[in-house]
Amino acid sequence: MRKKITRLFTCLVTLLFFHIALAQNRTVTGTVIDNNGTGIAGVTVSVKGTNVATQTDTTGAFSINAPENGTLVFSSVGYGTREIQIQGRSTVTATLTQQGTTLNEVVVVGYGTQRKIDVTGSVAQVKGEDIAKQPATNPVSALQGKVAGVQITNSGAPGASPQIRIRGVGTLYGSATPLYVVDGVWFDDISFLNPGDIESINILKDASSEAIYGVRAANGVVLVTTKRGRGRATVNYNGYVGVQQVTNQVEMANATEYATLINEMNVGQGAAAPFADPASYGEGTDWFDVVLRNAFTTNHHVSIGGGSERSTYNFSVGYLKQEGILEGNDYSRVTARLQSDVQVAKFLKLGYTAVLEGNHSNDAPAGLFYKAYTAAPVVPVKYADGSWGDPNDYPIGTATNNPALQLEVYDQESRNYRATGNIFGEITFNKNLSFRSSFGGEFGEGEVSFFNPVYYNPFEHPNQFPQGNTIQFNDTTLYRVTRSDTRNWIVENTLTYDQAIKDHRFKVLVGQSAQRYKFYKLEGKAEHVPNEREGDRYIRLGINSASRPNTVTDEGALDTYSSYFGRINYSFMNRYLLTASLRADGSSKFEGDERWGHFPSIGVGWVISDENFMNNQQIFDHLKLRGSWGKVGNASVTSNLSTQLVDRRGQLTAVIGGQPAPGASITTIVPPVIFWERGAGTDIGVEGSVLDKRLTFELDWYNRVTEDAIYDIPVLRSLGLSTNEIRGNQADIRNRGFEVSLGWRSEIGKDLSYSINGNLGINENKVLSVVTGQNPIYRGGAASTGGALATRTVAGQSIGQFFGYQVDGIFQTDAEAASSGLSGAKAGDFRYVDQNQDKVVDEKDRVVIGDPNAKYTFGLNTNFTYKAFDFTFDLQGVAGVDVYNANKGLRFGSENFSKDFYDNRWHGQGTSNEYPSANVGGRKNYLPNSWFVEDGSYVRIRNIQLGYTLPNTLTSKWGLNRIRVYANAQNALNFFSYTGFTPEVGAITTPGTVAPLNTGIDNGIYPLSATYNFGVNVSF
Amino acid sequence: MSLINRSTYLTKVAAGSLVLLLLTQSACKKDFLEVDPQGQTPSEQFWITQEDATRAVNAIYGNLNDWELVAFAPIAIESLGSDETEKGSSPGDAAFLNDYDNFTVSAAQGQIQDFWIGQYRSINLANQVLDNVPGITMDENLKTRYLAEAKFVRAYNYFRLVRAFGDVPLRLTVPKATEEFNIPRTPKAEVWAAIEKDLTDAAAVLPVSYGPADIGRATKGAALALHAKVAMYQTRENAGRWQDVLNYTNQVIGLGVYSLFPDFEKLFRIQNENNQESVFEIQSAVIPTITDASNSQYSQVQGVRGVSWGGWGFNVPTIELVNAFDAADPRKDATIIFRGETTPEGDAIPPTGDNPRYNQKSYVPSSQHKPGFSEGAEQNIRVIRYAEVLLMNAEAANEQGDATKARQSLNAVRARVGLPAVTTSDKNALRLAIWNERRVELAMEFDRYFDVIRQGRGAEVFGAKGWKAGKNEVWPIPQNEIDISAGVLTQNPGY
Repeated sequence: MRKKITRLFTCLVTLLFFHIALAQNRTVTGTVIDNNGTGIAGVTVSVKGTNVATQTDTTGAFSINAPENGTLVFSSVGYGTREIQIQGRSTVTATLTQQGTTLNEVVVVGYGTQRKIDVTGSVAQVKGEDIAKQPATNPVSALQGKVAGVQITNSGAPGASPQIRIRGVGTLYGSATPLYVVDGVWFDDISFLNPGDIESINILKDASSEAIYGVRAANGVVLVTTKRGRGRATVNYNGYVGVQQVTNQVEMANATEYATLINEMNVGQGAAAPFADPASYGEGTDWFDVVLRNAFTTNHHVSIGGGSERSTYNFSVGYLKQEGILEGNDYSRVTARLQSDVQVAKFLKLGYTAVLEGNHSNDAPAGLFYKAYTAAPVVPVKYADGSWGDPNDYPIGTATNNPALQLEVYDQESRNYRATGNIFGEITFNKNLSFRSSFGGEFGEGEVSFFNPVYYNPFEHPNQFPQGNTIQFNDTTLYRVTRSDTRNWIVENTLTYDQAIKDHRFKVLVGQSAQRYKFYKLEGKAEHVPNEREGDRYIRLGINSASRPNTVTDEGALDTYSSYFGRINYSFMNRYLLTASLRADGSSKFEGDERWGHFPSIGVGWVISDENFMNNQQIFDHLKLRGSWGKVGNASVTSNLSTQLVDRRGQLTAVIGGQPAPGASITTIVPPVIFWERGAGTDIGVEGSVLDKRLTFELDWYNRVTEDAIYDIPVLRSLGLSTNEIRGNQADIRNRGFEVSLGWRSEIGKDLSYSINGNLGINENKVLSVVTGQNPIYRGGAASTGGALATRTVAGQSIGQFFGYQVDGIFQTDAEAASSGLSGAKAGDFRYVDQNQDKVVDEKDRVVIGDPNAKYTFGLNTNFTYKAFDFTFDLQGVAGVDVYNANKGLRFGSENFSKDFYDNRWHGQGTSNEYPSANVGGRKNYLPNSWFVEDGSYVRIRNIQLGYTLPNTLTSKWGLNRIRVYANAQNALNFFSYTGFTPEVGAITTPGTVAPLNTGIDNGIYPLSATYNFGVNVSF
Repeated sequence: MSLINRSTYLTKVAAGSLVLLLLTQSACKKDFLEVDPQGQTPSEQFWITQEDATRAVNAIYGNLNDWELVAFAPIAIESLGSDETEKGSSPGDAAFLNDYDNFTVSAAQGQIQDFWIGQYRSINLANQVLDNVPGITMDENLKTRYLAEAKFVRAYNYFRLVRAFGDVPLRLTVPKATEEFNIPRTPKAEVWAAIEKDLTDAAAVLPVSYGPADIGRATKGAALALHAKVAMYQTRENAGRWQDVLNYTNQVIGLGVYSLFPDFEKLFRIQNENNQESVFEIQSAVIPTITDASNSQYSQVQGVRGVSWGGWGFNVPTIELVNAFDAADPRKDATIIFRGETTPEGDAIPPTGDNPRYNQKSYVPSSQHKPGFSEGAEQNIRVIRYAEVLLMNAEAANEQGDATKARQSLNAVRARVGLPAVTTSDKNALRLAIWNERRVELAMEFDRYFDVIRQGRGAEVFGAKGWKAGKNEVWPIPQNEIDISAGVLTQNPGY
């Protein structure tokens, strides 16, 4: 394998230099400028009647080989098209007028591009420059608030991939994340891409556009096009440094308040008050202040690119170092990208893209934020003698720990290396017919290295060092290393036929694709590994005795896909549009007749504004009505669901004769067949522009039903299976909604131009029906809710709704509690509504208490340019969503409370009818109930950026084209009523947890931070 | 570029694309989409060799110390209802367990369901063997024994089920067709009959004892002793069954391989597992290479709370149990760890803490703890001890009018701990003496609750805690199971 890779790279490097030899010397040079005389980058310059073309560089300059009597065609998104005859000149200056519309915008669709006006589905484009403007480390996180109907949930953890949902969630057990297609190669995650390398991101939102990606398209498709070189060789540098701070830090009870609460809790449980004098503890330790910090970020990105009509190249390197706001947590990433296209001959173009990425992180200990939330403020970080603060030294039990000690001893590093890319060849047989073949893939390697050092229990080993405390100690080192390999490839061949006959225009695409995805993970573990030198971290240095053996485990996955697809685009008079496609996908995940799935689509469009009867109206500059329907699939479900497997769990190993006797048996039944989750979606849209093309609008209504979603089939426990249920194609799930995008672009006077774009998505999620009937699935972070399940998914309701008791007050007296029908209740406990009025409050009285599926997502994005200044202001938010604040109720002993709880708690008759007593984690108070569910709506100033471009007169003196400096603030202001750090809570991501059923539960999530950056762009 | 040149180029290109097509052709082959389960064995490749049979039988034993079979669920269903234990731990921890102590439990509560799940999982593993091993070509003697072992375990699980729930769905084969999935509750008499058939079959085949390599497997004695207990639990409906209890216990005694272990306290320590008194024990161990096989939590959940080597402190002895022991009875100290004491193995128990007492029979001294594993994960669970066989023998003899024999067996148990012999010949007095002996001899061994019900004294002994005759003889059928059955399963009266 290694040899193959070496060869591949030799080949790629050769290609890079190859194009230089092909440069020609008969050229026409020039500049493309706008009405203000500023150069326009990225304008396509082509020789009319040929396929010779180039693009302008960032200064607007171009250079092209053209006949003396030829005609040059200049075209660019937002500027329209202009033709200029060369007439023997060697220098040509073209002036393009900016248009207040994006009609000529070209969007990327599956296996090709299309003019936006020809598109019959719902496709949204975000430009690379808008992505690069945000200090986001992951390109997906930069999409937040940019596109109607696309909900991004960011995590504060450095290097973490955000959660993305396009038009809601249509699956339970399948993956809910979209397919990413980067330059034709398919991925589940694009965290390896440097945002600075992205030319554009196009999001296919409706089923008809997605259907060409068949089996992987059900959650939407995100098409990423990376930058290709153009024009004169240009070097661009973008760098920033910044600082991150936690936002909306939750204020916790101080030591005095804490001791008071713990006293109340104990008294409420019938025990004695453990703290004699709460006030004597003063303020105590603010654990969040201890573990959080101001964190620094540094980002550098350099790219060199250029090209002629015969060849292009682009090379970039990026470096990012991001500290986490948690002490000791950081993430760094190096990216390198190499791209070149070469027009080898008139009919043959070859090209490649290669992206290399390496990242490293010092990880945050799992659950640390929960530990910081609950840690007792009466405990100091360290005592005066330098030993660690120990909860056991206080009458508070062992449920809490010293988070500073946990951070100090935690040692886990992750590294990932990835090479991705593709090579392609494109043959143009004639002006109508072309063939493209591409081979791409991913070669990834990951390592997680965990080391648990020794830190002794000072009580048991008073003379051995280093020491922990009597709760957190470890007598034996443990080294655990996990290596994972990803080996994916995709081959695609497409044939495109393009023909225009009078008013009829056809474009026909047929293609074939094969893919293979292989994953393998190996984990080794050893105890008593020394910890003296860097070279000590080897499994082989473990003690490897009979009682402490070195162990190795592994797991893997292999999936293959084979596909055929075709599409026809037809337009008549550029007015009547038709798109139809069909894809057939076969997957190794399914068997027999269910192996192949077929995914058709059809879309129609009517450009009303081009009709004759519209000639006399003055309102619409452009108006298009479109409608589409398509089928998509979701194959991202567990493999082998319908294969009965032998159960070899270690649990089945017996002890016979004092020796281990490995066991195996059959502990499952399987559903008769499992097939694709099939989605069928309809989209009706209207788009256009008015007011001299300054106001653009796009409205969409969509209705998408996942048919035969994998759903639990409850099985009788008396079957004795190892699982609670089996899975089958059981449910229909619908996402229906409405999207609005409005754009306004204008100028005031000569110097001020601005644009304002707003978008709103409204989605309603519903499980329509389940074949096996009312068949609720209870989930929702048992670990976060003290063992009770907080969500329910059931036919007729949305996925993963919060489910529990409705609180209608607090029992003010024991007598009131005793007569309530809630067994064991006391004064200060929640009073739950007896929904069925049977005088007993029990499980049957639980109701829907909240919905983690956002109903509204919205964004407002603005750009202002005044002379040399530019200003960006972006707002973003969600509404109609709930968050389950599990931190408030997950208690096993003497955990801390928030200041808000202290201030509002019940502590005697009449003190509160909303907040319970300090015994909120006890009796039946901890059970999922409406008090834990809070409004998760928020509005945030996502991004503010002010830039200043230095005068040309100055920069040219330095031999530079352009210098721009900017200051930026991200997440600076957040508005919400939620009492946790942030209402932006995604799904629980613990392995084995099903995301859509465990969404919106906040159990010590990594808080978001506000980021303040100062940066510079330089190009020459 | 000339036309000729161009066609040469085209040829090259055609050749090039042909290579690519060939490359993809391999992907289009039919078997490209045939991918084996990765790192997993499909069931078609099982039930073929003798080794498969061995592993499937191992699985039955391996599963016996599963959480649902030895931890919270048995504590809730088989212990807390009694007068010898209460919830323990800290007041707020797993407060739902109080509902089993107070008889306020509802059918939807988790431990009801867990207990059900645990037993039926074990039954499935036995049924898998009983269905599939007969078809395997292997050593016939071994095969016969394997089937007998499976029957013993199946009988043990059905015994626990019928005791806890009364009528339960009786599955004696692995259901194949969909209509076999959802079956109604089988009347308890039929369940008892099935249990007894399994035990009769097992006793006929199982060896009296095994060589060292097979210690832990079910023996003839285990099948007979369990059969005696099964018969004893039916004596309220049919007093004639006392003769069976007597016969089976006599047979166990007659095997001549069992005797009482001299030191009652040491009887329960790890180094004395599988001793001469052991009739059936669930084997547990720490196998460092297989952590999943090393996490029996039987000892941990009951372990002393509040010490670094300790456990969770559930299912703690009540003051009523303390008072049940004679002052001179050494079993009190051997059965109960008192707050502030130092155990015979040298563990100092803090004088303060959540609970005044803990179970000493499940206790594993700190010196024997294996870091990285559940506290006391090595502790075997004593299911049937010879002492219980003697006490059943005594009770049966007394019921059948043989006071001499009854006293002989009863006093053997008392003599081991140095207590004076019971001398009464009065049938009722002797019965009470035997019942009381069971209470103190088998204390904290998950016997007391159902034993009292079996004696017909539920209301008398537990009534003060809320136990009601006509309802609390059995627990409710899990509500979830009833829901899934769409009404095929019925609920017990009063729930």
